[in-house]
Amino acid sequence: MEMNLYGYKCKKCGQLHYPYRMVCKKCKRNAHNEFDLVPLPKNGKLLTFTHLYTLPADFEVAKLTLGIVELENGIRVTGQVSIQNPHMGMQVKGKIEAVRQEGYDTNYGIVFYEV
Amino acid sequence: MAVDLEKILRPVEHPMPPFEPKYMTLAGGEDMIIRQAKREEIPELLAYVEPLLHVERDYYDVVTARLYSELLAYYRYRVQDEYVLVAQIDGELAAIVNGRRMNADVGMSYHTLALRRGLRVGAHAFATKMEYHIDTMRQKEVLVVAESPIGFRRWMIEYKLEKRFEIPHELGGVPSWALTKELFDRARGSLIVGRRPVPDHLLKKAEAAIIPPSDPPTPPEDTLAATRAKYDSTGTALMLQRRKLTGKEE
Amino acid sequence: MREVYAIGVGITSFTRLEYPLSEIAAYSGMMAMKEAGFPNIAHLYVANMGGCALNHQAGLASAVVDSMSLTPAGATTIENGPASGASAILQGFLGIASGMYETAMVIGAERMREVDNLESTEFVASLTHPLAEYIYGVTLPSLAGMFTRLYMEKYGVTSRHLAMVAVKNHANAMDNFFAHLHEPITVAGILDSPEAMTNNPYVADPLRFYDCCPVSDGSACVILASAEVAKKMNKPLIRLAGVGQATDTHAVQEREEPTDLLAVRRAAAQAMQMAGIKPGDVHVAELHDAFTILEIVESEEVGFFKKGEGHLALERGETSLTGKIPINTSGGLKAKGHPVGATGVGQAHEIVLQLRGEAGKRQVKNARVGFTCNFGGFGNNVVCLTFIREE
Ligand SMILES: CC(C)(COP(=O)(O)OP(=O)(O)OC[C@H]1O[C@@H](n2cnc3c(N)ncnc32)[C@H](O)[C@@H]1OP(=O)(O)O)[C@@H](O)C(=O)NCCC(=O)NCCS
Ligand SMILES: [Zn+2]
Repeated sequence: MEMNLYGYKCKKCGQLHYPYRMVCKKCKRNAHNEFDLVPLPKNGKLLTFTHLYTLPADFEVAKLTLGIVELENGIRVTGQVSIQNPHMGMQVKGKIEAVRQEGYDTNYGIVFYEV
Repeated sequence: MAVDLEKILRPVEHPMPPFEPKYMTLAGGEDMIIRQAKREEIPELLAYVEPLLHVERDYYDVVTARLYSELLAYYRYRVQDEYVLVAQIDGELAAIVNGRRMNADVGMSYHTLALRRGLRVGAHAFATKMEYHIDTMRQKEVLVVAESPIGFRRWMIEYKLEKRFEIPHELGGVPSWALTKELFDRARGSLIVGRRPVPDHLLKKAEAAIIPPSDPPTPPEDTLAATRAKYDSTGTALMLQRRKLTGKEE
Repeated sequence: MREVYAIGVGITSFTRLEYPLSEIAAYSGMMAMKEAGFPNIAHLYVANMGGCALNHQAGLASAVVDSMSLTPAGATTIENGPASGASAILQGFLGIASGMYETAMVIGAERMREVDNLESTEFVASLTHPLAEYIYGVTLPSLAGMFTRLYMEKYGVTSRHLAMVAVKNHANAMDNFFAHLHEPITVAGILDSPEAMTNNPYVADPLRFYDCCPVSDGSACVILASAEVAKKMNKPLIRLAGVGQATDTHAVQEREEPTDLLAVRRAAAQAMQMAGIKPGDVHVAELHDAFTILEIVESEEVGFFKKGEGHLALERGETSLTGKIPINTSGGLKAKGHPVGATGVGQAHEIVLQLRGEAGKRQVKNARVGFTCNFGGFGNNVVCLTFIREE
């Protein structure tokens, strides 16, 4: 089964949100949870990134590259970037993978690769 | 008596190549020179190191006591194949590192003492000592221990030292760690930096005189603060405040 | 609403302090009490972020109120991320302004060095969005790094500008006894020398070691009072003339214009409007420079400079001690230190000293209007304060 990140589309006004929120940020008055679940596209444009050298304890690597990507539908997501020499504005494609192991919990999230 | 007892007591020295001085720029913009201390300079160093025996924070007391004895032993020929490097900023003593040659392949790192804080002075001096072993003496590895948490962070963690726990270190017989040539090469250019040759005027200034440190670590205001520390302690600032409160200061 | 005055301030060094959190908190409280002549305290507000997570101390205000023998005064602990300090001052302000209390004590306190660096970074990272940021390894420095890259691209800010902020604030801290770092640094030493990469390595590129504030312990205190109480004191009258608070999206990625810090803009406008001043009227400001880039951006968002021109003003020296609008005379978070919960109160402490004319070597001449910006999360909760000296 293909894994996805999901966006939340307001049933009243159609506004798409990511991450999840209780109340639509546009019409502000849908009774809560009135959202449709929509899989987000995985490809987009790398807006910005950083190579992080002081990592939280769960990561056993020397450096982690993180970035914010604007997906094809305009939604922005933060994710890990697995690209040697990234540059701003480049096209990237995402994959859902295990991104962080916290004890016995595996967290899945989006990792971006070069197209 | 015809036998010269001193000849028996004095260890046989193996020839060691001289250390070629180097220098680097610190965050504050000053240049720091690291060079080999001459034996006749040791008494001077002893005088500057001695006050730190009473600095009961960040393990300055323990490290200084041991370093003092090693310096003295070097001066009086009681350690085999020891050497001492000094770091100077504008002539002023900034750090002392020492160690010894164990055999052709292995070096033994003794101590690192920073007399100025917050500028990686100690880290640069330690890196230079490793360079002396690996690059100048062409040894395969150097055995290292840490006597303080800061030291552990600086050496074991920053260099990712290998364990050599089967070898007791000469400092207290504790399990050793090793900085191998491979680890050293990996740190080249990042942790191990500096330039050669040292400009003449800088070297002359450094060799002319070792100026005492202007801002050496000082004892805690109140030793109680140190003993209350959960780990090691620098916690004396509140004591200053207490004195302010009670009107003893200002 | 009644007028509110700051009648006493106190601070501990921002550094590593090997004392129980409650004691650290109480020290600055004692200093302030002494200065204010031991007034009756009706309510104690204690700002703190990590008591539970780092120091095994919940309900800090209850511990402090008793330790200071202020019982049965009311006591409330306030956790609002790195903006806890100014948030607590805002609560104290409301208490007095509403007429409910005559005097209120606000303490900000933090003890982060009890744990190692990894743990404290992780602790601060718990401010981020749990699902959209945290799980990826996002920390505050990484958010700041991504933000800096955008800002550099858009407005031409360079590493040199960032280094200039660090150098300026380190220099200011040299004259501040209570500052964490007393190390004069130079642009040559942290940027240009061949050893600069070792002395000043990347933390979250393009941000480097000297672009980030240290992890500090410490506390600061401000005692607030009504006009009636304040006028009996023989100290210059410092009025807390304006307060403002605004929020923004939790996840940074959701902001419409990622280089804007709207919460700063709004909180600042509120705090200035309430005080009846304009940005140009401010004589001295403490901005939240947890990362050097933030000082530049906040100086624009609060209105001192046009958007995108903060770094040019910095180049011209307008934010230095003798410039048009001196920023972070205390050394800022960068060099004075950043005990998260205490920071906002520490900023107010500096401004009160400046307005009283008690800032010693770092005194800004004739400062009568002071401003602080305390920045929570990565700009998702911001509190600004305006202080005015009354003649
Ligand atoms: C270990 C040592 C050589 C490292 O020197 P260095 O690389 O120049 O580093 P510094 O000592 O300046 O800084 C190390 C830590 O001390 C802190 N520090 C800096 N200035 C300080 C000051 N004035 N007072 C107290 N602590 C200070 C730094 O913030 C840093 O802590 P952090 O890593 O948590 O941020 C030095 O600390 C020292 O001589 N310690 C005593 C002897 C010792 O332990 N030797 C090693 C034995 S193996
Ligand atoms: Zn809607």
